[in-house]
Amino acid sequence: MSWLDDILGPWRGFLVTFRQMFRPNVTTQYPEQKRVKPERFHGRHVLNRYPDGMEKCIGCELCAGVCPADCIYVRGADNPDDDPVSPGERYGFVYEINMLRCIFCGLCVEACPTEAITMTHLFELSVTDRDDAMFTKADLLVERDGTPNHNAPAGPLIDLDELKLADGWMRATSSAGRAEYEGVVQWSESAGKSQESTVESPQGDSDS
Amino acid sequence: MADASVTITLDGVDIEVDAGQRLIEAAREAGTYIPRFCYDKRMEPVGLCRMCLVEVEFPSGMALVASCTTLVRDGMVVDTRSEIVTKAQEGVIEFLLINHPLDCSICDKGGECPLQDQAFSYGPGESRYVEEKRRFVKPIPISDLILLDRERCILCGLCTRFSDDISGDPLIEFKGRGNRVEVITFPDEPYASYFSGNTVQLCPVGALTAKPYRFKARPWDLDAVESVSFVDSVHSRTSIQASAGKVVRIYGVDIDATNQGWLSDKDRFIYEHLASPERVTTPLIRDEAGFSEATWEEAIGLVADQLAEYKGSEVAGLGGARSTNEDAYAFGKFLRTVVVTPHLDAQLDDGLSAEFAAAVTPRATIGDIDEAATILLWGADLKEEFPVLYLRVRRAVTQLGAKLVVIHPRRTGLDDVATHRLTYRVGSGAEMLGWLKSGRKKDFKGPRAALSEGPVVALVGRTGLAEDPRLAEAVAAFARDAAGAKILPLVRRGNVFGALDMGLAPGLLPGRVAVTSEEDREALESLWGPLPTGPGKGATEILEGLTDGSIRSLLLNGADPVRDHPSPRLASAALEAAEFVVAFDMFLSDSAVHADVVLPVAGLGEVEGTATNLEGRVQKVNPIVAAPGSARPVWSILDDLAVALGAQLGGGSAEMITKEIARVAPAYGDVSWHRLLPGTEGIVVPGSQGTQPLRYIPADPGLGVSDAALTLHAGRVLYDDGVMIRHSPGIAGLAPEAHVYLHPVDAEALSVIEGDRAVVGVDGEATLTVVIDPTLAKGTIYVPFNQRASAALGAVGEVAVAPVESGGS
Repeated sequence: MSWLDDILGPWRGFLVTFRQMFRPNVTTQYPEQKRVKPERFHGRHVLNRYPDGMEKCIGCELCAGVCPADCIYVRGADNPDDDPVSPGERYGFVYEINMLRCIFCGLCVEACPTEAITMTHLFELSVTDRDDAMFTKADLLVERDGTPNHNAPAGPLIDLDELKLADGWMRATSSAGRAEYEGVVQWSESAGKSQESTVESPQGDSDS
Repeated sequence: MADASVTITLDGVDIEVDAGQRLIEAAREAGTYIPRFCYDKRMEPVGLCRMCLVEVEFPSGMALVASCTTLVRDGMVVDTRSEIVTKAQEGVIEFLLINHPLDCSICDKGGECPLQDQAFSYGPGESRYVEEKRRFVKPIPISDLILLDRERCILCGLCTRFSDDISGDPLIEFKGRGNRVEVITFPDEPYASYFSGNTVQLCPVGALTAKPYRFKARPWDLDAVESVSFVDSVHSRTSIQASAGKVVRIYGVDIDATNQGWLSDKDRFIYEHLASPERVTTPLIRDEAGFSEATWEEAIGLVADQLAEYKGSEVAGLGGARSTNEDAYAFGKFLRTVVVTPHLDAQLDDGLSAEFAAAVTPRATIGDIDEAATILLWGADLKEEFPVLYLRVRRAVTQLGAKLVVIHPRRTGLDDVATHRLTYRVGSGAEMLGWLKSGRKKDFKGPRAALSEGPVVALVGRTGLAEDPRLAEAVAAFARDAAGAKILPLVRRGNVFGALDMGLAPGLLPGRVAVTSEEDREALESLWGPLPTGPGKGATEILEGLTDGSIRSLLLNGADPVRDHPSPRLASAALEAAEFVVAFDMFLSDSAVHADVVLPVAGLGEVEGTATNLEGRVQKVNPIVAAPGSARPVWSILDDLAVALGAQLGGGSAEMITKEIARVAPAYGDVSWHRLLPGTEGIVVPGSQGTQPLRYIPADPGLGVSDAALTLHAGRVLYDDGVMIRHSPGIAGLAPEAHVYLHPVDAEALSVIEGDRAVVGVDGEATLTVVIDPTLAKGTIYVPFNQRASAALGAVGEVAVAPVESGGS
C-alpha cells in the first residue's frame, strides 16, 4: 500500500487545516472588539468608597506589606475630626501603585481588611511616559458616586467602561477566612456592581 | 545564699538555676519562653495578666501559679506545656480579647504587638463572645506627647508601675472596679512626665501611642539601627528607626551598663529636628544681602583662602561636643597641625575643667551606682540634665538600699527619695563643704555619717552655670577620701567627654594626655608633626581674644556660644568683632547667623563613628538615613579643607579615623569598631590595652565665699530653647516659660509678691515673672538658663533684681 501512502501522505497533513476551516473563528478584532473577561480577572486596581462617600482605605499598609513586587507605597495620617476621610482614626494619606512593577497577583486585595483595594477588568495600561505608570491616589480612588477614575482619557486603546466591570469582590477568601462565607459581603457594600452575585447565605456556622 | 543554686524540674528536665530567682526568669534562662504581658524584669512583678500561668507540683497535687510572682525552690516540679496550662492560656487570651477592639489594622502597635503575637501563638483561634464590646472615647490625649486608647488596654499595669516605681511621677492610675477598670490620669493633671515615652514602648498593646510617631509608619517598613543618644553625656543606647528615608521613632535598648532600656522624652523625640525644613543643606556664604547658597568648592576655597591670611595663633576653634569622636579628633588635628593654633575648646565654660572631666581618678562607672552604699550628688539636678542617670540613682535608693545625699541650691527631682538634702547659697559652696567635712553642725551630722559608709559614689558637677567650676573639684577632693569612693564627673553636653578625650581643650591632647607633659607631647609630634607652642586659650579667653583683636578668626564646630556661654554679651560681641567666622552647623543657630561661611553638617542618625560618655564608655554611633542636601560629616569637610590649605589630614573614612585614634590616643588603644557591635556594652577607656597618661587627682583649690547680696543659680531644665528642641515640633512646646524664683525672705526684702514682674540683671537683662520658691537657699535667685525669655541674662556678673513698677497699682 505504499503507493497510496505516497499519494495521500502530503494531504493527510492538511486534514487539521481543512477541519479548522469549518470551525467558528476565535480571533477577536481587538481593539474594535473586546472579549468578555472572566469574573475574577486581575486587571487594574481601584480604591473604593463606602456608599456614603467615605474612603474605605484606612492606610494600614497591609497591601504594601504583602506586595511581592514592592510596588505599593502607602502612608497613613490622623483623620481630621471635623472632616473625616475614612471611618476611624487613620486614613490613607498617600497611596501609590507603580504599575510597571505590579505583577497583578491580587495579594493586596486579599490583604485589605476593608475591601478598599479591588481589581477591575481594565488591562489597557500602556503609557508613553514612565511617570504616568505611577498611579496616585487621585487616579485610583473612585468618584464619590462610585465611578472609577483613570489617569488617561478614553480612546481606542483605553475603554474606561472596563473599569466598571469589577467590584469589591475579587477576594480569594472571605474576610472571615472561612470557605462557607465566601461570597457573603460581611464588611459592607462594595462600591462596584455585582451585588446580586455576591449575596448568598452561608452554609451554616462551622461551630455548630 | 546569693550564689546558691537549686534544682528544678522544668517540663520533665532537671535544670540547675540560681536560688531566689523568679520562675519565669529561670525558665527563660533555660530556654523556655513563658508568655507574659505584665511582667518586666526591671519592675516588681504583680501577677496581673495571668498569662504566665504554669503548673507547679504541690503536696496536694499540681496547681496553676503565676510564674512571674513565684520564686524557684529546690525540687520544684514545673510544667509549662500541659493541657491545663494550654487551656488556661487560651482562656486568658479569650478573656483579654473580649473587650479588645481588634482594630489592629490602624493600630500603631499592629505588627509588633505582644497581644497579637501571643494570641496567635497561645490563643484559642476564635472567641465565643458575640456581644457588644465595651466602648470608650478614643483616643484621648493624656499629655502633649501621649495618647491613650482605653479600649485597647489590657490592664497589665506596666505603665502605672513604671511611672510610680521607676520614674517617680505617679500621674497615671487605675480607676474603677471590675469590668469598669480603666487607666486614666487625674482630672486636670496631664501625664506630664519626662519619661512618658517609656510607657509607649512598654505598653504590650496599642493603648498608649506617641503623637510624633502616630501613623507615621508600620513596624514592617521600619529599618532600625543601634546608636546612642546625644541629648546628655550618659549616651543612652537607642534604636533609631526610619521609614522611607526618614527617622520616625527612637526606642530605648536595654543595655545594663547605661540606660537599661529607659529614655527620657527628649532622647526619644528629639529626632524630629533631623527632618526640619530649617536644616542648612548647602554651604552658605555671607554677602551684602545676607547668606547666599554656594557650592562646596566655593565655600571650601573661600575658607582656605581666608585661613591662609592669618597666623595660626590668630585662629581659634570652639565646639566639637555635639559630634562624634572622629569629628572631634579631626577638628583638633586640623586646628593643631594644619592651622597650627593652640586655641581650642569643646566646652564653653559651661562645664568643668577639662583635666578634671577627662581624667579624674578614681572614676566611677554608671554601674557603680548600683553597688554604692552612699551616693553623694553635688551637681546638676539629675532629673533636668541627666534624666536617665536620675532613674538609675532613684532605683539605687528606692530598690537597692543606697543612701543619697543631695546638695543643691534648691529642690531637685531626687529630693523625695534623698536620705539627706542640703541647700546652699550659690557662692558659699566652700563654706558648705567645710561644714560637711567637719560634720559638726547639726544638719551635717547625718550626711557626714552617711559618707563614711562605703562604697561611696560621688556625682560631682556644676549645679548651675553661675557656680564656680572649681567648687566641683573641691567637692571631689573631699569625696575621694570617703570609703571606697569613686567619682563620676557630670558635664551634660552630648559627646563632650569624647571631645575632651580627643584633645579639644587648650590643656589636653588626644587620649587623656596633658599638653604640659613633654614626653607624651613628643610621642604625638612623632605621629602628627610639630604641634603649636605656647599656652592655648579656653573658651572665655578665645571670646575675649576676638573682642580685643588678638584672635581674628573663629571656627565654630556645632557650638552656640551666644546661647550656651555664661556671658551671652561677651559671646555676641566676640562674634561681631571676629573678622572671619566659619560655622559647621545643622541650623542657623544664634551664633551661626554671625558666620561668614556656614558649612552644613550631618546629624546624629546620619553619621557613623564612636562616642564616649561620662564614665568613659566608648559606644558606636550608627547612621540610618542620608543627610539632607549636601550636608556631610565634619571630618570629611576638614579633609577637603586641609587639602585646600596644602596639607593632608589623613581622614579618609570614619573607621580609618577610629583606627588612627587607637594608634595616636593612649587611652583609646582598645577601641575598634568590631568590638562595639550592637548589643554589647561598649568599652570603658582606658581599657586593658590603653593607658591614661594624665591621672587627675582632684585638689581643693581653696575657694572663698561670695559676699554678694544676691547670687544666681542658673540651672538648666530638660526642655530648653536649644536649637534642636526648637526644631523638634513634638517637644518644642514643652519648654517652660522662664520665671525668676525668689526665696520668700528675699522677695519680702525686694517687696515683690508672686506674679509680679521684675527686671533681673546679670550679664544682660530680662524682665521675668516672680515665683516664690521656699525650697531655694536664702540669698540665691533661680532663673532657668537658656530659655527664650532668659536668653540674654547669662550667668556671670553681679545679680540685680528690681521690681517693675506697674502703671495701674
